[in-house]
Amino acid sequence: MSSTPLSTAAELARANEELRYQLEEAHDLIQAIRTGAVDALAVQGAEGPRIFTLQGADQGYRTLIEQMNEGALLLSEDTTVLYCNACLAGLLECDLSEVMGSTFETFVPLAFQEYWAGLLLKGWAEGKSKGELPLQTRNGALVPFSVSMNVLSFNETPTLAVIVTDLSARREITAIRAQVAEQNELLDRTNAELKREEAARLAGERAAAEASRMLEGISHIAWTVSPTGANTYRNRRWYDYIGQEPGEGPGIGRAWRERLHPDDAPATLARWDESLRTGAPFEVECRIRNGAGGYRWMLGRAQPSRNELGEIVQWIGTYTDIHEHKLALERIDQGQRELRDNNEQLTRVNVDLDNFIYTASHDLKAPISNIEGLLDALLAELPPETSQQEPVQPILRLMHDSVNRFKRTIEQLTDVSKLQKEHGLPTEPVDLAAVVRNVRLDLEPLIQSTGAQLTVDVAAAPIVLFSEKNLRSVVFNLLSNALKYRAPDRAPQVSLRTRPEGAAVVLEVQDNGLGFDATNEHKLFGMFQRFHDHVEGSGIGLYMVKKMVDNAGGRIAVSSKLGSGTTFLIYFSQ
Amino acid sequence: MQKLTCALLVDDDSTTNYLNQLLINRLQITDKLLVALNGQEALELVKIHCNEATPDCPALILLDVKMPVMDGFQFLEAYNELPLPEKDAIIIVMLTTSLHPQDVDRVQGLNIAGFLNKPLTKEKLNDVLKNHFDRHLPE
Repeated sequence: MSSTPLSTAAELARANEELRYQLEEAHDLIQAIRTGAVDALAVQGAEGPRIFTLQGADQGYRTLIEQMNEGALLLSEDTTVLYCNACLAGLLECDLSEVMGSTFETFVPLAFQEYWAGLLLKGWAEGKSKGELPLQTRNGALVPFSVSMNVLSFNETPTLAVIVTDLSARREITAIRAQVAEQNELLDRTNAELKREEAARLAGERAAAEASRMLEGISHIAWTVSPTGANTYRNRRWYDYIGQEPGEGPGIGRAWRERLHPDDAPATLARWDESLRTGAPFEVECRIRNGAGGYRWMLGRAQPSRNELGEIVQWIGTYTDIHEHKLALERIDQGQRELRDNNEQLTRVNVDLDNFIYTASHDLKAPISNIEGLLDALLAELPPETSQQEPVQPILRLMHDSVNRFKRTIEQLTDVSKLQKEHGLPTEPVDLAAVVRNVRLDLEPLIQSTGAQLTVDVAAAPIVLFSEKNLRSVVFNLLSNALKYRAPDRAPQVSLRTRPEGAAVVLEVQDNGLGFDATNEHKLFGMFQRFHDHVEGSGIGLYMVKKMVDNAGGRIAVSSKLGSGTTFLIYFSQ
Repeated sequence: MQKLTCALLVDDDSTTNYLNQLLINRLQITDKLLVALNGQEALELVKIHCNEATPDCPALILLDVKMPVMDGFQFLEAYNELPLPEKDAIIIVMLTTSLHPQDVDRVQGLNIAGFLNKPLTKEKLNDVLKNHFDRHLPE
C-alpha cells in the first residue's frame, strides 16, 4: 500500500502492523471466498485478473450487506453483474454463480427492458435513480421489485450499486391494510348503527316509561303496544276491569282481543290491523268482557307516538267506558223508533179516519137522498087534502126536518174530511176588516134578534196571513158562538180585536156569555163536543177552527169563567 | 119535446133506480128506459144494442160510480175499448154523491159528458137535455 521509505523503528513497527492487518484481511477474504461466505468475482483486467468483492469495506458493513434482507448488486458500465448478495440470488431463485458475471437484463422482462434501460441511463447520468419493475425469476414467475441505484466508485472502478427490494410482501401488506381499513370502517359503521339503535331503544323506553307513568294516573283504561302491536304496558284500570293482577294467569287472558264481544271482534280487529298497517289513528266502539264476565261498551282509541324521524315508536291507547251512555243512546234510539212507529201508525189511523169519514158521508148521502126522493114522490102521490091533514102534515114536516138535519151533518162531516186534506193550504195576506164585515152581514139577523153589541178594532194588525176561506170560517164560528152561547139575562157584548205579538198576529174574540168550566177546556175543541144542549149546534165548529189554525202553523187559546164570559185568542204565525 | 130513443140507468141501488125511473117517466123523456145493476150488465147491454145503430141503443147513460162487480170507472175503461160505430151519439153522465179527490184525477182521461151530484132532479135532467141534446122539457 505505501512505499514511503521507513525512517523510524516506530514507523516500521506501525507499517509492519498495517501489513500484518492487511495480510490477515486478505487471509480472511481468501478464507471467506473459499468457504463461500463472501461472494467474489474475478474480472480479467489490463493488469491481470482482479477479484471483486466488498473488499475494502468495513467488515461490519460487509457482513450487513451480505446478510441483509434486501437484494444488493453492483453493475459495471456494461451492465455486467460485478457483485450480488445471497439475498438477491435467493429472490431470483438462482445460484450466486449464475447471477454474478451475467448481464442483468436477462432478469428484466421484455416489456420492461426499455424502462430498465431508462433507469440505468438516469442512474449513470445523475448518480441516482429509483423505480419499480417486475423481475423474472429462474422459473419464469414475475416478482415485483423496487430498485434504488447509486453510482459508487469501487476499487477505483465506477459501479452502479443497486438495492433490490421485494415488493410482493409490501403489496400484500397494502392489500391487508386496505382490508383492515375496510373492516374497520365496517366496524365503525356497525358501531354507529348499534349506538343509534341503542339510543332509539333508550328513547323508546324513556317514552314508554314516561307514557306509562302518565297513563297510570288517568281515569281511563290505558295501554301501550310496540309498533308491531305487541303489548308493552297496561295501566292499573285495565287490571281492575278484568279483575286480575299483572302477571296473574295466562297472558292471553289479559289481552283485550281475547275479551272482545264475539259480535264486535271481527270489525274491531280488522280496524286495529288496518291502523297498525297504515299508522292511522284507531277509534272503535266495542264491548269488552270484565272480570265478572259481563260486557261493557268501551270507546277504544289509540294514536301512534312517533320519534323525530317520524317512525312509530309505540302506540298509546285508551278505553273509555261508554256503557251507560251507549245504553242511553240505544234507549233514545229505541224511543225514537217507537215514536216513529207510533207516528206512522197514527198517520195510518188518520188516513183511515179520513177515508172513513169520506166513505161514511158518501154512503150515508145515497140513502138520505133516496129517503128525500121517496118523501117527495110520496108527497106528489098524496092528495092535497090528505097531506094537509092532521097528523099527516106535522109527520111530513118532521120527516123533512130530520132529513135536512141528517144532510147538514153529512155536509159538515164532508167539510171535516176535506179540511184534513187541506194541510199546507197556501196562505195570503187577508184584509181582516173586510172578512169581519162579510161575516157580520151573515150574522145580522142573529145580532138584531139578540140585541148584541159587536165592537171591532183591527187597526193594530189589519192584515193576517191565512187562507181567506178559512179565515172567514174562523171568524164566523167565533162570532156565532159568542152570540149563540149568550147569557140569558144580559144582551151579548162581543168585541173582536187584533194586535201584533212578536212574529204573530193575535185575534181576540171576547164575550160576556155563559162561559164554561175551565176543567172542560180540553174537550172544547174535540169533534162533536157540545157543552150546552139548549142551543142548536153540531159540535164541529171549534174543532174545525182549531184544525184550520193548527194546519196553518198557528195556535188557539181560550180562557173562560162560568157565568161571566169567554175569550178566544188565535195566534196567526206570520 | 122530442123524446130520446132510449136511456140507460146504471145503479146498484134499486131505490135510486126506482126514483129515477119515476122521475124520467113523469117527465116523459124517453119511452124506452133500460136499467143495469152494475157496470158489467151495462156493458153487455151496450154490446148487444149498439153494435149497429138500433132503437134500443141508449142515447143517454146515467152512470153511478160505486157499484159491485164493475164500478163506473171500470165500465168507462171497458167502454172505451169497445169498437162501436156511433160512440159520439152516446152521452154518458156520471152520478155521484161526492167525489174523492183521487177519483177526480181518474176521471180526467175518460170520455164522459159530465158529472151530476145525486139526487137526480128535474132541473139537472133539463140541463143535460139542453147541453147535450139541444132540447128542453116543457115548462
